[in-house]
Amino acid sequence: MPEKLGTREDASSAKSFNDAMGVGTGELTGTRHASEDGVQLVLRGVDHTARPTWKLNETVEFYRDILGLPLVHAISARGWGPPGHHDFLHFFFDAGKGATIAFFYYIGSERPERYAPEEHHFYFATHTAWAVDTEEELIQWKETLENRGIKVSPYTKHEILESIYFTDPNGYPVEITRRLRETELIDEVDAKLTIQAALEIETESREAGQLMPDIDTVWRRKAKLVDAYKESAS
Amino acid sequence: MIEVHVIDVPEFRPMVETQRDNPEVTISGPVKGYWTIQAPTQLTFSRKAMKMKPAVWYGIFTGGLNGEIAEWGRDEVRVIGTNRPL
Repeated sequence: MPEKLGTREDASSAKSFNDAMGVGTGELTGTRHASEDGVQLVLRGVDHTARPTWKLNETVEFYRDILGLPLVHAISARGWGPPGHHDFLHFFFDAGKGATIAFFYYIGSERPERYAPEEHHFYFATHTAWAVDTEEELIQWKETLENRGIKVSPYTKHEILESIYFTDPNGYPVEITRRLRETELIDEVDAKLTIQAALEIETESREAGQLMPDIDTVWRRKAKLVDAYKESAS
Repeated sequence: MIEVHVIDVPEFRPMVETQRDNPEVTISGPVKGYWTIQAPTQLTFSRKAMKMKPAVWYGIFTGGLNGEIAEWGRDEVRVIGTNRPL
């Protein structure tokens, strides 16, 4: 049974992975809002993101040798904590400004089918986006990676970002992006109104036992919210 | 009456600029960061006239649309009035 290789059952009495980790399920019942206790928690950017890999050689070759990211930390350990945890490697590549991209390699495991990459926007949504400062840097990334044999997407200008995309040997999408402009107060105001409109439509759709019909419905609700916002004091 | 709200930022400002010479429409603003374009029966936007990239084009009504999209294409969108609730 290859799936049993390197797994450990003796390091925890927890009955489930989440129990062993000491985390819940994400259920919101019984939670309280930041506005209720008045504490403003602070974040200082990304430390690392992490994904599993079942291709150790290819992952190291891609990030270290092709992209050229320094391998800056590696943990090698017997499985501990959650029951049935595999022995593992957890290794980190430097991605600038103190951020790293990390991988877990679970020794003796085979990739479950549900972790196979899919050519679908649901799958692509989970991605890592790294920042560059200038258009010249973005062009250099695209042209250099193409010269190194990586298939890189065309440049895409979103509203405030210009991006290129490619995939790693695991099928994970990677994005390199630059800011086209600084965000302003109106961007924040507009984001609040857009999401407020969408929250309302989601709630109403659920109450009607339906899925949200289309973005046009959100845009119409947004028009109503913007009308009210423009007429409000301040 | 059709009403399109346009966020006053560089990516969407061409929506306002390309309607300036359209006698059918009324443009007001920006009020608190939004331009508002009003038209009595229909309103058409051209992607090429606005020099808009597709990733922005597909979200051009993100500022809010009181109207109904009658025709939607890669290069042109036509909006008509609607009685549907906002």
